[in-house]
Amino acid sequence: MKTYRALSALLTYPSTDLQAAVPAIWQILSDEGLLKPGQLAKLEPLLTDLEKGDIYDLQERYVLQFDRARTLSLNLFEHIHGESRDRGGAMVDLLETYRAGGFDLVGPELPDHLPVLLEFLSTQAPEQAREILADAGHILVALAERLARRESIYAPVLAALVSLAQVDTSPEAEALLAEKDDDPEDLEALDAVWEEAMVTFGPDPNEGCPISRDILAKMDMPAAPRTSAPGQM
Amino acid sequence: MSHLLDRLNFLKSVRKDTFSDGHGQTTTENRDWEDTYRKRWQHDKVVRSTHGVNCTGSCSWKIYVKSGIVTWETQQTDYPRTRPDLPNHEPRGCARGASYSWYLYSANRVKTPLVRGALMRLWREKRKTMTPIQAWEAIQNDPAARASYTRKRGTGGFVRATWDEVTELTAAANAYTAKEYGPDRVFGFSPIPAMSMVSYAAGSRYLSLLGGTCMSFYDWYCDLPPASPMTWGEQTDVPESADWYNAGYLLLWGSNVPQTRTPDAHFYTEARYRGTKSAVICPDYSEAAKFGDVWLNAKQGTDAALGMAFGHVILREFHLDRQVPYFEEYTRKYSDMPMLVRLDKKGDSYIPGRQLRASDLDGALGEANNPEWKTICIDETSGQLVAPNGSIGFRWGEQGMWNLEEKAQGAEIKPKLSLILDEDRDDVVGVDFPYFGGMATTQWHKDARGDVLTRNVPVKKITLADGSEALVTTVFDLFCANYSLDRGLGGEHVTDDYNADVPFTPAWAEKITGVSRDKIIHVAREFAANAEKTNGKSMVIIGAAMNHWYHMDMNYRAVINMLVMCGCVGQSGGGWAHYVGQEKLRPQTGWTALAFALDWARPPRHMNSTSAWYAHTDQWRYETVTAKDILSPTAPEGDWESLSLIDYNIRSERMGWLPSAPQLKTNPLKVGAAAKAAGMEIPAYVAQELKSGRLEMSCEDPDAPENWPRNLFVWRSNLLGSSGKGHEYFLKHLLGTDHGVLGKDLGEEGRQKPVEAKWHKDAPEGKLDLLVTIDFRMSTTAVYADIVLPTASWYEKDDLNTSDMHPFIHPLQAAVDPAYESKTDWEIFKAIAKKFSEVAPEILGVETDVVQLPMQHDSPGELAQPVVKDWKKGECDLIPGKTAPAYIAVERDYPNLHARFTALGPLMEKVGNGGKGIAWDTKTEVHHLKALNGTHTEGPTKGMAKIDTAIDACEVVLMLAPETNGEVAGKAWKALEKATGQNHAHLAEVKEDEKIRFRDIAAQPRKIISSPTWSGIESEEVCYNAGWTNVHELIPWRTLSGRQQLYQEHEWMLAFGEFFVTWRPPVDLKTITVDATKALKSAEKHVVLNFITPHQKWGIHSTYSDNLLMLTLNRGGPVIWMSENDAKTAGIVDNDWVELFNSNGVIAARAVVSQRMKDGTTFMYHAQEKIVNTPGSQITGKRGGIHNSVTRAIPKPTHMIGAYAQFSYGFNYYGTVGANRDEMVIVRKMENVDWLDKPAKVEAAE
Repeated sequence: MKTYRALSALLTYPSTDLQAAVPAIWQILSDEGLLKPGQLAKLEPLLTDLEKGDIYDLQERYVLQFDRARTLSLNLFEHIHGESRDRGGAMVDLLETYRAGGFDLVGPELPDHLPVLLEFLSTQAPEQAREILADAGHILVALAERLARRESIYAPVLAALVSLAQVDTSPEAEALLAEKDDDPEDLEALDAVWEEAMVTFGPDPNEGCPISRDILAKMDMPAAPRTSAPGQM
Repeated sequence: MSHLLDRLNFLKSVRKDTFSDGHGQTTTENRDWEDTYRKRWQHDKVVRSTHGVNCTGSCSWKIYVKSGIVTWETQQTDYPRTRPDLPNHEPRGCARGASYSWYLYSANRVKTPLVRGALMRLWREKRKTMTPIQAWEAIQNDPAARASYTRKRGTGGFVRATWDEVTELTAAANAYTAKEYGPDRVFGFSPIPAMSMVSYAAGSRYLSLLGGTCMSFYDWYCDLPPASPMTWGEQTDVPESADWYNAGYLLLWGSNVPQTRTPDAHFYTEARYRGTKSAVICPDYSEAAKFGDVWLNAKQGTDAALGMAFGHVILREFHLDRQVPYFEEYTRKYSDMPMLVRLDKKGDSYIPGRQLRASDLDGALGEANNPEWKTICIDETSGQLVAPNGSIGFRWGEQGMWNLEEKAQGAEIKPKLSLILDEDRDDVVGVDFPYFGGMATTQWHKDARGDVLTRNVPVKKITLADGSEALVTTVFDLFCANYSLDRGLGGEHVTDDYNADVPFTPAWAEKITGVSRDKIIHVAREFAANAEKTNGKSMVIIGAAMNHWYHMDMNYRAVINMLVMCGCVGQSGGGWAHYVGQEKLRPQTGWTALAFALDWARPPRHMNSTSAWYAHTDQWRYETVTAKDILSPTAPEGDWESLSLIDYNIRSERMGWLPSAPQLKTNPLKVGAAAKAAGMEIPAYVAQELKSGRLEMSCEDPDAPENWPRNLFVWRSNLLGSSGKGHEYFLKHLLGTDHGVLGKDLGEEGRQKPVEAKWHKDAPEGKLDLLVTIDFRMSTTAVYADIVLPTASWYEKDDLNTSDMHPFIHPLQAAVDPAYESKTDWEIFKAIAKKFSEVAPEILGVETDVVQLPMQHDSPGELAQPVVKDWKKGECDLIPGKTAPAYIAVERDYPNLHARFTALGPLMEKVGNGGKGIAWDTKTEVHHLKALNGTHTEGPTKGMAKIDTAIDACEVVLMLAPETNGEVAGKAWKALEKATGQNHAHLAEVKEDEKIRFRDIAAQPRKIISSPTWSGIESEEVCYNAGWTNVHELIPWRTLSGRQQLYQEHEWMLAFGEFFVTWRPPVDLKTITVDATKALKSAEKHVVLNFITPHQKWGIHSTYSDNLLMLTLNRGGPVIWMSENDAKTAGIVDNDWVELFNSNGVIAARAVVSQRMKDGTTFMYHAQEKIVNTPGSQITGKRGGIHNSVTRAIPKPTHMIGAYAQFSYGFNYYGTVGANRDEMVIVRKMENVDWLDKPAKVEAAE
């Protein structure tokens, strides 16, 4: 379904090519009808902006949002694996998925870049595409929510993806939002992220260090979706 | 996929065989389920690399790659074995390095070239109609256009660009700058080349071919201990960490080995199993403190006082009351203690003067060559005055006598150490010593007993060449008086009682340091007693903590004196182990050829960064420290007090002591052309024009637009985020953007202005036209750049890596291609060079550049000025290369810059190579390189060896360096033999056929080959230790006396009271001003603390402090540490947000309240990024600063001395240093934590 490819394009770095392609993107999104009319309407500000906006302003905004802000990174594994060792394995698995689908990665982006994934999905049967997308559902939910909070013009794109994936707010997504939330206005949430449990030297020597226990518990939660079969997200 | 059905759940097979007594068994059931685990660790290849931030650990790692993606790394365990009795080096590596690999794919990675949007818009607009040069010129000549991007630095607004576009823009800016202002206005800053030599060399080679300025780092980081060149004529040379194991007594002094030297710490542990005793000196309860058999928690900044007391005890018990034969012989042969010092009459008493020279005596004692540079002692056997071999006068102009044999004029001698015996002395006179104990500020113990202490010294009367009479004494006698030791000569300020209240006794030190006298005596005795029993196996491991004080030389010289008194320097298991920031680049002479393009043109432009940044960030306009604050009451006559600190620097540059950047106010290309037009030689022309005033040196007017640095490259560095002392001044004046400077300049305050530097009423803001940062992560410096170029990280490039901590050389290798659109540093600068060659011919051709060069250490220039004379004051004529800097014509072929960049130039064949005062032929090596790298087949470099890839560049380094090419080592040792007249070639003879190539070190780390570049050797018998060849091969130290120079008698050293070590309390920097305190509400709780910036556990050396894993282990953002008592005073509890400020700027951080801390201090670990979790400051309304926001660089005149033996300039060798430990800050709790992200636009620094 070319809808995925259109959404992929919308999430790439703005260029004059993209500006010129906006009418075509409109066309596909409306023709395929994969998105509900309401969602399509919400995309209008972004599409208009991309088509008519000053290219430098568009590019500066994109760099600030997606290249500079870690919490809005379009590299999906950034959100669940961060800089942990698991990320390499996860990326290799994803790469194998693309290869199994008959594609190889060209260009500088990593396999977990969302526009790359969407482009791949555009080559897959609708139901299969939806399933793969649903695997990343909790990240999409979190990203959509974060962009919405920042009143980002890109928020409707993520909202559309959430809807396409037919996922709802899951415990995993909530965990992701709670854990990584760096909304600086919410100081208490921020404190909670960094708060350490008190060290106690109790009678049970096997209980272990409460700090590492908490950290491990936090790490465990978002990793849960990866328990699906290898080769998927 | 479930494997439930593959397994037997209810049955057990009987068809099994067992083996190994039932410990093993064979089964026939399906074992496919195990593949899940096997595949988890499956990989396509393992590549050797390392972490090259600036980590001296230099640990070799295995990088695992699967499907072209780096998946994990583990430690390498294949270092060559050293010796049977030594523990292995491995495993080497730490948690910081192990967490590195995911930087590769981190969200903080710079993915594409980025350009400030406003600049990109201007550039593309102009480029529609103009050439690149015209476009850049048009932007620069339109003030509004220029300000549209310079004013926005640090506030976001980047767009992506193509490599083609961005290299063109950069090249055009460089070419325009060279043409308009001069190539020396293009600056480049990159530190610590040893960690990735080719990456460093890429930029410095480009700059050197251009004529740009390479900025130093070691002095700027304040990791250079000037006491080392002062004493040894050596930048820094230290034992490898394995040699700790050989020590009998280890003194850890301000060094936190377990925390900051993780891969080496095991040697410290193992030494203790061997029976080595260890004392730890540090104010806080550090990780090292736990290792100590005894912990001395001296108050911060009082190390010199403690060291003086140690020295007092050691001299008393091991040199005076009892003479240890080993110590006596060592100090006689290897220190300047027997040399004679003249005493000059001042008022009623005497002040210490210059060391006596042969030229002072009748007939110069038969020394026709350099008699003014030959020191004198008394031969005990004959009773005559003699000029012993080895002083620096023997180094130049003659051969075979520059050695440490106890000989003079070919005859055996025995230098006399002391004139204490009645028959040896003619008189006893009072000599004035300065005492600075009364200058302590409220934070330190004030000991106001008078600023001059007169002590009795035994003297001899001698007759000088002019017939006059002079009093002389030995350095040893003066030295003992300096330590207040009563030797039965009567007089005041000396004692034989440790409990006396006399400076430098243990009792005196107790009051200043807070360490009890019995512990001081105990440690001093043990340290010396061990050295006595082991012939010098007592070692001091020392760190930045002591070197970052303004008076760091006092701390260090106090330590060095102890080591010399006990004969520890140059002995395995003993000596001075300073491990800060130097990170030894072992194949140095191979590398300098590549890095500074010495194969094409000599000399390169080198600049000492501290002086440059001090001038160009206008920190001098805010200077609070006057010469009077630091001058000695015993100073010789002179206009010392009327000069401000920058004036001293200007005089230094004028006399050819320190370098300048830029050099002349007039474009040096125009000077070259003008000299040619006038038909004059360059030196004569420049001398004539300087004298007439038609030419001016740039240093005299740093704020004139002609003298601004215009383009700045920062690569492999986070200049603005970590090392920029006076961060806010950088932002205000160099970058011209938002800043947090709270104080007023000298003009606004109506204080004394400099006399040599021209004062402009309004200081310029935004001197730089272009800031290019090359990095793989969005560092603080990148955030402020105009252009950010994405570079390869350490698993993505080929390079070389060495360290002072171990004797191996090993590589960085490209395990995978550079991620996203990044390129290696080598390829980036090559691309810029290519573009430069395309765009520059429009305005630049083959030009004559005039390069200014200060008198160089390890060259005859180090004998240029036996007395201080300033040509501008009419004290002497201006003679380039003698009384002023040298001016040298260098040909620049700008259109062929790229061709030259990628070929090994002709000078290696024509002139050869060398370093540290010796030179050798390299024709063979050039021939081998042509065969190895291939040759260019066309163009201007036809027939020359290629340096196309980074591996080619590595091969150049390895081939040319004695450390990696045994044949070259042989040539180098033979070259040194000519000077010393000793046989050294045996040290490398057996290695003649050993030539280490890049592929060799890719296979396994290789041990380097002994070379005269360094003062230790690689052998099967001893560990590498500094000074070894001086002691065992009788090669002189590169100092005035040729010995370890404990007495420093340059006029400026005498003036500032540092001819010997003494106690100088931390300096009052006067930054708690009304401008700073007005931010406090009346009765608002706060505390004033001494601000210390040590190295942290979570983000230094092998990774950066924005690494999420490491942040998680700490508190996730900037923190400061403070004591429980101080916290209580200021109403702060653990984890509160606090603000630290003074007139320099403001920091916002969380407080860690800990019992570990000593009252009166706060720690802010070095280099925490302001890009992570940093809120706004209440005072400035801007985002809180970095640790350097409250600091400012304050240069010291004694570090500007030049043209005087070991006090001669060398790049990263001598010069002003960026001290920052004496700073005080106000700490208070923040009421409102504002994250400054209210506007719809996302904040730049998030």
